Amino acid sequence: MRVGVMAALVVAGCGMRPAENRAIADSKVGQAQQGGVTLSVADGLATVRALAPGTLVLWGNAPAFTARIDMGAQAPSDWLVTVRNAMPDAVLVAEEEGGAPLAQEALPQALPTVKVWRVALRAGTTARLSVAPPDSESREPFRFLALADVQEALPRVGDIYARMRRDDAARFILFAGDLTESGTRDELTEFQERLEAGSRIPLYATLGNHETFTRDAAEYHALVGRGSQSFVFKGVRFSVVDSSNGTLDPGVEEQLEGWLADSRDGTHVVAMHVPPQDPVGLRGGGFANRGEAAGLVGKMARAGVDLTLYGHIHSYYSFANAGIPAFISGGGGAIPETFDGVGRHYLSVDVSADNGLQQAALVRVD
Amino acid sequence: MVSELPLRSRWGAVCLSGVLLFSTPGLARGGDGSPEVPVDAPLQAHVGLSQQSLAQVPLERPDFKPLAVVVAVVPGLLFHGLGPLVAGDSHTAKRLFALEGAGLGLIALGGVPIALTGASRRTIAPLYAVTLAGFSVLGISALANLYAVTAPAFDAGVAPPLLPPLELEVGYQYVNDAAFDYRHFLTVGAQARFDSLRLLGAVRVDPSEGNTQVRLGGAWRLLGAPERALSGTDGSALDVEAFGQFHRYPTEGFALISGEVALRGRLAMSRFSPAMAGSFAEVSVGTSAEAYTYPGAVSDGNLHEQLLFTFGYGVWLGRGGPFRGEAMLYYDHRKDSFAGGIRSRGGGIVGAFGLKGRALLTDDWGVAAEVQGGGALVGRLSLIRALGGER
Repeated sequence: MRVGVMAALVVAGCGMRPAENRAIADSKVGQAQQGGVTLSVADGLATVRALAPGTLVLWGNAPAFTARIDMGAQAPSDWLVTVRNAMPDAVLVAEEEGGAPLAQEALPQALPTVKVWRVALRAGTTARLSVAPPDSESREPFRFLALADVQEALPRVGDIYARMRRDDAARFILFAGDLTESGTRDELTEFQERLEAGSRIPLYATLGNHETFTRDAAEYHALVGRGSQSFVFKGVRFSVVDSSNGTLDPGVEEQLEGWLADSRDGTHVVAMHVPPQDPVGLRGGGFANRGEAAGLVGKMARAGVDLTLYGHIHSYYSFANAGIPAFISGGGGAIPETFDGVGRHYLSVDVSADNGLQQAALVRVD
Repeated sequence: MVSELPLRSRWGAVCLSGVLLFSTPGLARGGDGSPEVPVDAPLQAHVGLSQQSLAQVPLERPDFKPLAVVVAVVPGLLFHGLGPLVAGDSHTAKRLFALEGAGLGLIALGGVPIALTGASRRTIAPLYAVTLAGFSVLGISALANLYAVTAPAFDAGVAPPLLPPLELEVGYQYVNDAAFDYRHFLTVGAQARFDSLRLLGAVRVDPSEGNTQVRLGGAWRLLGAPERALSGTDGSALDVEAFGQFHRYPTEGFALISGEVALRGRLAMSRFSPAMAGSFAEVSVGTSAEAYTYPGAVSDGNLHEQLLFTFGYGVWLGRGGPFRGEAMLYYDHRKDSFAGGIRSRGGGIVGAFGLKGRALLTDDWGVAAEVQGGGALVGRLSLIRALGGER
């Protein structure tokens, strides 16, 4: 029964541009309006979980982001701004449109990735809220962790976070899709609750094909964020794109071209769920069209991308696509590839704005 | 990157296809079921077996019954023998039930281990081949179920008794792929038939965008009568094919160079049941090795492999006159064609589906047409000039 349902879901949603609606949905992430207050998160780097008079709750999907908030004439002045999935050392800078600082106070929280501030906003004005760790603009080397494909192993994901907590240098997790088995609201909520309870660092994600199984990833967009987005942290650009149908929607590819152009001379990490090319060609777990895959990796290589990270295949592969170092790290616990001697795992990646990829190491969990 | 699959596994996949194709004996037997026209001497032993099995079945086609057609669709597409059973053809019904069961069994035999092993790189090739073989058997039995109840409404077609030594074709191809700018292609092709050897070539070029695909290769008939001498046979055959391909993508800035080998078998379905006279099933399995080249500083030294697998169900269009041809519904698993694979919520696993037909309308002229639906929609129409095709 379950196999039949999964097969139906897999076949459904096929078309000339199966990811087009999700690309459109991306553009609405981080936008909200309520009671005369209009909120817009720049580049959709956080999703709005709640907006009510005096209350704003965001789920961050990047280490640093800004939000513009237009206060209606009747809006209250005392606001509690909550950012979940924030960098543990994130600070809030709140200022009016002209640059005048606004009073704000950080409130202590038990969970390291949940940050709450009391902010004084003025009715009838426009304010800018910036959330970032103090060193987000520096160019020092740093470490992040790469993970993908938790799916039905969600109840056991705490083991992975426990292993990650032993690494004090890691700043965040970059997740390449398939957080959950079916992408339902309950599953995604559980994923986020387990993340907040178990991890001391935030997790920034793109979606996988399993997230599309429920309302074409509508719950993902509501709870997590965009499928395709780009941010810069410490001089390194991170771009994640929605490849969950084994293709890039033309709209997403156009966005990616812009991000490639912006970071042509800098360090650039690109992640997506379905790899363009499966290193085991006879299996063919990559893009649906090998020509599209070859064109994409060639485009990234010409733009000087330093590292590509993928999921979808539940094992570990180190290879190169069009000369770019590439890793498949689908070790989140979903049905593992047998006989590979790997098991649950993630990658520990050291990068630098000035020197590109320094090291990518396999970390075993089991 | 070269796959780590053992060579033994790849050969296993190829051999499996051969086993499936020739599970029905008497490959080169005459189209009328008579054993006195063995075309290929080494196959005479199989003819005897075939004659024995056919002696147990009725040789006349059943009458056309509209109710059987309805039942063959619902619920016949789930239970493949129901249509013929309603038509009173219990022999065909039993065989279709068995064929469907075999298909489902093969899917389970290959698919369950794939799921349990997480599509392991160590075992995926043979398991994938078994699973696709299962889908091919299932698909063929589904279409055979429809054919068995509709065929009595018309005279069964026959394999062309003779095909010309040289065919040239020119045509137009339309491709609608959201990932590529190319749309309109000029196509030219040629096919030369010798005794057991066929040589084929095709060029497809978009004059405005520059995308160009060149395919050259050939097929050697291992079993069955050559296409230039099919008279008195039912058209069953087994070929080994080899092709080279160069595909230039100027807008995307790379070119594909590949080589491939495959086994392709065609089985006249009249051997399966007299109700299937005029139709055939076709399966091919093979592999390709591909290299991508990028001009300039970008380098990719990988050699990519690909599993090639097609299956289809076709009908002969001719009735023994100058009009000769065939049409076939098919599935193609390859992902480096213009159609590519379907961009589904499972990623890019599933290939493309298509319908193609080819017919000589006179001794000298013919047409070919094809539509494919994968990640892209592809349509192709060609005019054929036959040389030396006098019957």
